[in-house]
Amino acid sequence: MAAIVHPDRNFKYWLISPAIFLLLLIGLFPLIFSLVVSFMRVTMLETDTSFAGFVNFVQLFRDGRLWQSLAHTVLIMVVALPIELLLGLAMAYLFLDRMPGRQILVSLLMLPTIISPIVAGATWRLLLDNRYGPINQIIGWFAGHPVPALWTVNPTLVYPAIIFCEIWQWTPFMFLILLAALSNVDRSLTEAAEIDGARFWRSFRYVVLPAIFPVMSVAILIRGLDLFRIFDIIWALTTGGPGTMTETISVYTYVQGFKQFETSYTAAIAFLVIALLTVVVTWAIRRMGLAK
Amino acid sequence: MINRRDFGKIGLAAGLSATMGTPAWAASGADTAVKAAQKYKGLSITVVWEAGLQSLDPTHFSGPKWKELTGMDVKVVEVATAEMFTKIMQDYKSGAGAYDALNVIPAWMPDLAQAGALEVLDPYVQKYSYASELQTIAPTFRDNWMKVGDKIYAFPDDGDVFIMYYRRDIFGDPAVQKAFKDKTGKDLAVPKTWADFDVVGAGLTDILKSKGIYGASFFRQPPYAMYMFEERFRNEGGKFFDANTMKATINSDVGVKVFTGMRNENKFMPPGVEQFGFVENLAAFLQGQSAMTISWPPYGRWAEGYGTDQEALNWVPKTTIAGKVGYALPPGGHPELAAGFALSISSTSKNKDAAYLFIQWLNSEDVSRQRVQLPYTLRDPFRNSHYTDPGYLALWPNAKDYLAALKQASQTGLLDLSLLQTDKYEEVMRQAISKLWAGEDPKTILDAAAVQWDDITQKIGLDKQKNVYAAWAAKSGAYPKL
Repeated sequence: MAAIVHPDRNFKYWLISPAIFLLLLIGLFPLIFSLVVSFMRVTMLETDTSFAGFVNFVQLFRDGRLWQSLAHTVLIMVVALPIELLLGLAMAYLFLDRMPGRQILVSLLMLPTIISPIVAGATWRLLLDNRYGPINQIIGWFAGHPVPALWTVNPTLVYPAIIFCEIWQWTPFMFLILLAALSNVDRSLTEAAEIDGARFWRSFRYVVLPAIFPVMSVAILIRGLDLFRIFDIIWALTTGGPGTMTETISVYTYVQGFKQFETSYTAAIAFLVIALLTVVVTWAIRRMGLAK
Repeated sequence: MINRRDFGKIGLAAGLSATMGTPAWAASGADTAVKAAQKYKGLSITVVWEAGLQSLDPTHFSGPKWKELTGMDVKVVEVATAEMFTKIMQDYKSGAGAYDALNVIPAWMPDLAQAGALEVLDPYVQKYSYASELQTIAPTFRDNWMKVGDKIYAFPDDGDVFIMYYRRDIFGDPAVQKAFKDKTGKDLAVPKTWADFDVVGAGLTDILKSKGIYGASFFRQPPYAMYMFEERFRNEGGKFFDANTMKATINSDVGVKVFTGMRNENKFMPPGVEQFGFVENLAAFLQGQSAMTISWPPYGRWAEGYGTDQEALNWVPKTTIAGKVGYALPPGGHPELAAGFALSISSTSKNKDAAYLFIQWLNSEDVSRQRVQLPYTLRDPFRNSHYTDPGYLALWPNAKDYLAALKQASQTGLLDLSLLQTDKYEEVMRQAISKLWAGEDPKTILDAAAVQWDDITQKIGLDKQKNVYAAWAAKSGAYPKL
């Protein structure tokens, strides 16, 4: 008996091939082209497209400013992320139970996340301005005298200012994700734990946390990646200053690529970042069990 | 009767007069441009202009006027100053040809010309007989902002220069003069040196602080303070590089002295002066909170209230010091020709001839005279005729002194440092200044900055940069004759 050929076996691939081609064109082509450029010497003054070996990649390891920018990025991540997580969780608990006006309050709380980050940064810069911003004025009322705090110039204040602005804008994102996660925890489990005499912290640790862990992991991963890429708030507040004190990897890459026109070196930096992130994300996914 | 010999003489005379300058009957640069542009009626050209007040010129005045005269549309692409160089280079590198006419900061010209982004203008200047009118641009701008090597790449179009503005009423107040004499043992006078400035500034702050007035205020944000450092450093005898070795010498004793002075002066300036930008400093001065400041020419116009009734300038704080402002050269006597703008043509433009005619018309004697008097413009006088124009002199009672100060400043002014990849050197200086305000040691900062400058020089090519620096340093406005 002759084999029956399903008429649509290959047709489905033909249907999805335009979309895949487009994705490859938009995603894969720039990636490969950047890799090629990273082995050249393309700068503002020279467009030397001959193979330059690993000179740009060797430069990566000699570039102290690059590694400092990575350190600044990690600093912001390790401070802001836990604070956003804890605050978001606390807020989610607050809004877990039904209350009058809950939906309106939740909507208001979400407003910071829908503002463009560069707009948020520019607004905070005005708010924190020493002469015209209300923040120093309000602090001065409490202090009883003018407080000329230079939030974007004073080295002891710049990081608190940046981290505060970042937390202000993105804690609501954590809040929303965790609210959804907490809402889906089986109430019977928590009630049973309560009946058995478990206090809040034991109940949270052994019942709630395991239940929300998968969703929380995804939220942590997403926010972690966002924090790694942080640019807008910093550019609006300090442009990486004072000096290069708040220059993160994104800010440094932008300066190298679009201010200094070190095109090939910037491509090399981009691949370093891709390599680092791939390692970190892979580890995170395995550690958090997200792939299961 | 006229014989052949007479004909020869007449012909020779006519030929000689044609080569010796523009005859009286010749059309002006503006007329020539308008007439030649008739063939481009209906064409649209794109011009890059600094975003904000500067672009009100082409959007409200010159663009509509040019359309009226020639039928050509002018599309204005407004770009923040910090992005202009990037946008111009990106357009050139991509070959898109999106821009026709350009505004360029003269310090960028070596980079842009070397990269091939700017069109050489000599053939157009010759074709449209504009050479003689270029000669009437004030010498400092004409001789330093027009050419790279021996080729014309741009027309100077904005006479930026730092001026010291001071309160005549404070300096002329007998009570203040007596108090100052009692305190310092010196007569109160507008400072001519930075040492004098420190004494006067601190003294006035001590005397007037109870009234909310400080001796001085400056803009201290790094992009602006960088120009003030460049000016003061050279006035104090500093050199940016050793001309033989191209080693950076910004960390010399002079550099450390200037940095230390700048930091110490903040103590007698308004609190938070480290954050002062153009607007904050303007507000402080116009609201009578400082007795001295240094800034670009618009401060002087706005201090007198000129143009501030315009809607475009409704953000300018209302002046409380109109009629009380005096003008002087900054301490040292050689002010920075900070930034400035010149008109150029993109080498990738598809409408070069049309774009050239537009910039010739803009830059011409007649049109530029009108443009520098627009109340909302930031274009400052840059032609010899601007400084003595009767219309400008009549704008406010003290305008004569204002224009005289601008003219003197242009004659003694110092050029911005202009090398290959100047922005890289400037970025190092901006970061150094922000570190200074953050409290780091001046010597440490400048030593690190010098090392970074040397690295940049090595990367660009020491010999290549040495030649460019030598050409720049040879200009009369590069270093003051002390």
